[in-house]
Amino acid sequence: MTIVVAYADTPPGRAALNLAAQEALHRKTSLIAVPAVSGTSLTESELTDRLGAAGAEIVAAGGTVSVGSSDLHDPADAVIQVAQQVDATLICLGLRHRSPVGKLLLGSTAQRILLDATCPVLSVKAD
Amino acid sequence: MFDAALSALSSLADPSLLIMLAIGVFAGLVMGLIPGLGGTGAVAILMPITFGMQPEQAFALLIGALAVVHTSDTVSAVLLGAPGSASASVTMLDGYAMARKGQAKRALSLAFLSSMAGGLIGALGLTLAIPLARPLVLSFASPELFMLTVLGVSLAAVLSRGNIVKGLLAGFLGLLLGQVGTSPTTAEERFTFGSLFLGDGLSLVAVALGIFGLAEIASRVGQRTVDKDMVGLGGGWMSGIKEWLTHWSQVIRGALIGIWAGVLPGVGATAGTWLAYGQAVATAKDKRNFGKGDPRGIVGPESSNNSVEAGDLIPTLLFGIPGGVPSAMLLGMLLTYGIQPGPAIVTEHLNLMYLIVWCFAIASILGAFLCFLATPSLAKLTKVPFAVLGAGLLVIMLLGAFQEGGQIGDLWIMIILGAVGWLMKATDTPRAPFLIGFVLAIPMERYYYLTDSLYDGLGWLTRPGVLVFLAVLIAPALLALVKRTRKSAPDLGHRGEDDLSHGEEDEAEDGQLKDSIWSLGLALGVTLIFGTALAVSQSFSAEAQLMPRLVSIGGLITGLILLWKELRARRSIGDGPGWTHDVTIAMRMFAAMALFLVLVMLGGYLLAVALFVPAFLLFVARATPRTTIIYTLVLCAVLLTLPSILPVDLPTGLLQS
Repeated sequence: MTIVVAYADTPPGRAALNLAAQEALHRKTSLIAVPAVSGTSLTESELTDRLGAAGAEIVAAGGTVSVGSSDLHDPADAVIQVAQQVDATLICLGLRHRSPVGKLLLGSTAQRILLDATCPVLSVKAD
Repeated sequence: MFDAALSALSSLADPSLLIMLAIGVFAGLVMGLIPGLGGTGAVAILMPITFGMQPEQAFALLIGALAVVHTSDTVSAVLLGAPGSASASVTMLDGYAMARKGQAKRALSLAFLSSMAGGLIGALGLTLAIPLARPLVLSFASPELFMLTVLGVSLAAVLSRGNIVKGLLAGFLGLLLGQVGTSPTTAEERFTFGSLFLGDGLSLVAVALGIFGLAEIASRVGQRTVDKDMVGLGGGWMSGIKEWLTHWSQVIRGALIGIWAGVLPGVGATAGTWLAYGQAVATAKDKRNFGKGDPRGIVGPESSNNSVEAGDLIPTLLFGIPGGVPSAMLLGMLLTYGIQPGPAIVTEHLNLMYLIVWCFAIASILGAFLCFLATPSLAKLTKVPFAVLGAGLLVIMLLGAFQEGGQIGDLWIMIILGAVGWLMKATDTPRAPFLIGFVLAIPMERYYYLTDSLYDGLGWLTRPGVLVFLAVLIAPALLALVKRTRKSAPDLGHRGEDDLSHGEEDEAEDGQLKDSIWSLGLALGVTLIFGTALAVSQSFSAEAQLMPRLVSIGGLITGLILLWKELRARRSIGDGPGWTHDVTIAMRMFAAMALFLVLVMLGGYLLAVALFVPAFLLFVARATPRTTIIYTLVLCAVLLTLPSILPVDLPTGLLQS
């Protein structure tokens, strides 16, 4: 029983992390963060810093907090692979608005995760 | 068209062609096993042997090698976890994982069969491209052909590695170097500084072997052997063969991606395989096993890296713009045979084109077959430390470069360019645009003159074909600009732009001197070269001056932009790496090469080899005395017998005459 969060150091990414932490507490499960922007790295200590008190509460409730990694080059594929490997119950994801032209030119990690994931996906927008 | 294809097949019944093809395939397989050589090394090393042959024999040999290099480079990736070439590093992800589970034979048979199918589909693509492109090619006049050469260099610069400024600078440098020698229009000597042997221009083999071959030796010689033990050849061949048939759609998709990556200049086998892998992952529903031994992660990339080489040949033969480094060398060779690619090849030399297609297809099958037979014994070659191979490779490469002009000066140029190539590799500057620029410099100038003298003013710019090429030229630049402005806003990831960032030929350990005093020095040096070239070109006649001036001005501007970027990076990041261990090793290596050349000039090639190779093996490669003696004796014996079986000349020294 695990929740996977697509992590990015952006407002939607942080919103997703907060939501994932709440869900993990609520369901008493573990949380795995996977960097979802190519080129970013995330260490366990950075993750616990970001989560703050929520992280400690998850651990207290019997879950674990960790960073997932994958050999795959594409961040969307990486998130989905980790989710499939740990048999995740939920993927948490932050969304942002992108114009149709922008989507055409750059594609969207979020859209790929939403469409290709094999488990439920919970998405959130930044405030 | 069908008749031409059949008559080309019947000409392959000639035993001498078949023998050349078989030799090429064998040489290609062996070179695929040696890390760092790849298709570039295979063509560059074999090319000197073909001097003096008929074009048919020469192409049978070279295409035979080129078609199978990517079949055997899988072996070390799967068995050792150390890829033989950068493009095989993709196969390593799943292949090595599978081998560690005791299924090495399964992984290898999947890879060999996919390589074979990739080569066959690539050859088919090349065949289909001929009738499709023929009417288009025949409608081209000199303005279109000029635009094509410009497109060839600039696309290579833009697409390779994603670093546009460095790519363009390398392209300009290649164009400038290609103009050394006699001007094609006015027969006056340019940039020769009074030297007689520079009057013929720089030798293509020397340039290619220097910038890629020697640079590779220098950067790899410091690497120790892979400590990992070789994985045993477990599992059965048959299980892999049966499984392969179920993945036929992946094979075809991989091959098509490979052809496309090959057609685009500057996007080579490495980028092609990553694209194929990305495609395989993206379309797979169950992604759990990728990176842990999923057969789909082997099949697609392996199929694509063989079809890339066939795809490379499409623009090379039909339009005269090379799709990659090996095909740039083939283009240079076609030109030395007096065969003009483009319109001339589809009318007068159609037979040769189909011969190339058949050779590619037959070599792919033969290569896979030989790999199945010989892998257990050939795999031992992958365990030999590179420094030991390096001594022999150095001797062979220098001998090869000597064959084109018989000038010792070519060898000095080769070593200087080797140092430049090593610096480019270490500072993350793409080298493919450099070589493509070098090959295309003279055709570009020739077409420009024809255009200039046949059309009034800039009227040729409004020809529809030229307009289309202009659009193709400008569109990627606009796209890059859009991406850059988009990138400034942080967001939750975007796909696409880094798919192509896996560059040509080399990966992993390079770029370690990026943003350092070295890259600053490279930028400064190249800028100074363009400045000097601009000053020197003022003394040429009006016709001979135009092209060098255009290239120097372009290079100067690009160089200044790069300098500014480097200085800015220094201010924000700091000094970066200085004199590292790798630099010391590379410097020593180039000093050793120079010493070898001095020995050659004094005592002739054989004596120099007999002195240099044992010293190198004992002190640099730290080989055992027994290996050293046998190695040197074999090498000397080969050098003694070579001139009697092949038209090869050994350089003679001062003491010999």
